[in-house]
Amino acid sequence: MANIAAQRIKREFKEVIKSEEVAKCAIRVELLNDTFTELKGEIAGPPDTPYEGGTFVLEIKVPETYPFNPPKVRFVTKIWHPNISSVTGAICLDILKDQWAAAMTLRTVLLSLQALLSAAEPDDPQDAVVAKQYKENNEMFQITARHWTNVYAGGPNINKDCDDKIRRLADMGIEEHQARVALSSYDWELERATEQLFS
Amino acid sequence: MADYFEEMGWQPLAEGQAPNHYLHFARLLRDFNIFDGLSEKLPPPVSKKVLESIPTITLEQDGKQCTICLKEYCKGDTAKQLPCKHLFHNTCILPWLTKTNSCPLCRQEMETDDEDYEAFRKEKMRAKQRESDIENLHNSMFS
Repeated sequence: MANIAAQRIKREFKEVIKSEEVAKCAIRVELLNDTFTELKGEIAGPPDTPYEGGTFVLEIKVPETYPFNPPKVRFVTKIWHPNISSVTGAICLDILKDQWAAAMTLRTVLLSLQALLSAAEPDDPQDAVVAKQYKENNEMFQITARHWTNVYAGGPNINKDCDDKIRRLADMGIEEHQARVALSSYDWELERATEQLFS
Repeated sequence: MADYFEEMGWQPLAEGQAPNHYLHFARLLRDFNIFDGLSEKLPPPVSKKVLESIPTITLEQDGKQCTICLKEYCKGDTAKQLPCKHLFHNTCILPWLTKTNSCPLCRQEMETDDEDYEAFRKEKMRAKQRESDIENLHNSMFS
């Protein structure tokens, strides 16, 4: 890797570790190799959102041309959010694309992602199914996002109704995550989800 | 009020001139947001003329950080000062400005050599101007 990228990540590392957000346990980064090309990020779900109480793991890949090109970031933890793919974890956020600037850092990227969790942009979606639910049935969206946070990100809010419906499908031989996706996509209507799974 | 052609930044057809159908088609596509997906890349680099005219200054005191490499400046270091007054090491800002045309810190845009982009930028500025004109007009009528 070009020297400038590695040197900068080293400096940023110190910055993130010293920052007050780390003290508040809101963000964290961890090195995965000695060459500073792969990192693991962590953000806490922001308060007063369905993601509250969850911890979301991110995969961060630093290109050789960093900081002149943005890092490649993806959610490893499964999440129900209009701007994040519920399948791949791919993120739709302008600063990771055409609005990147060389003065941005891992810290500002993680804080921006945290802000994205608080303020979704359903009109610029990455996951069309989630975005549709967000706009047309926001209450159901909140329930689904909270349930996913509970199951995948260690959030505290157990939803018995959701768990029961998933178990019903699991009893029919459907894999748990597949059942969760189908129910989430059909506003937790057991009948429609079943129909889709067996069609 | 400015006349229609001036406001839109267009030229009336001269005698014997035919309308440019490609241009009309391109505008139609633009109005249906066909080009939105293309804007994922950064704006083009700063023009050569502007790049050469950016002043180099010698720093008189320590402290402050170059926000690209995150190293602190030492007294006597030289740095490039953009029109927005932000400072960067020469070796740090050059690769950025040969890629795109804005300050990495405040996004103030500088002129480029790309004609299409400059036309797009002017159009964007005109649209903004029109919006604020309408807003003013509305406020003066209803407040």
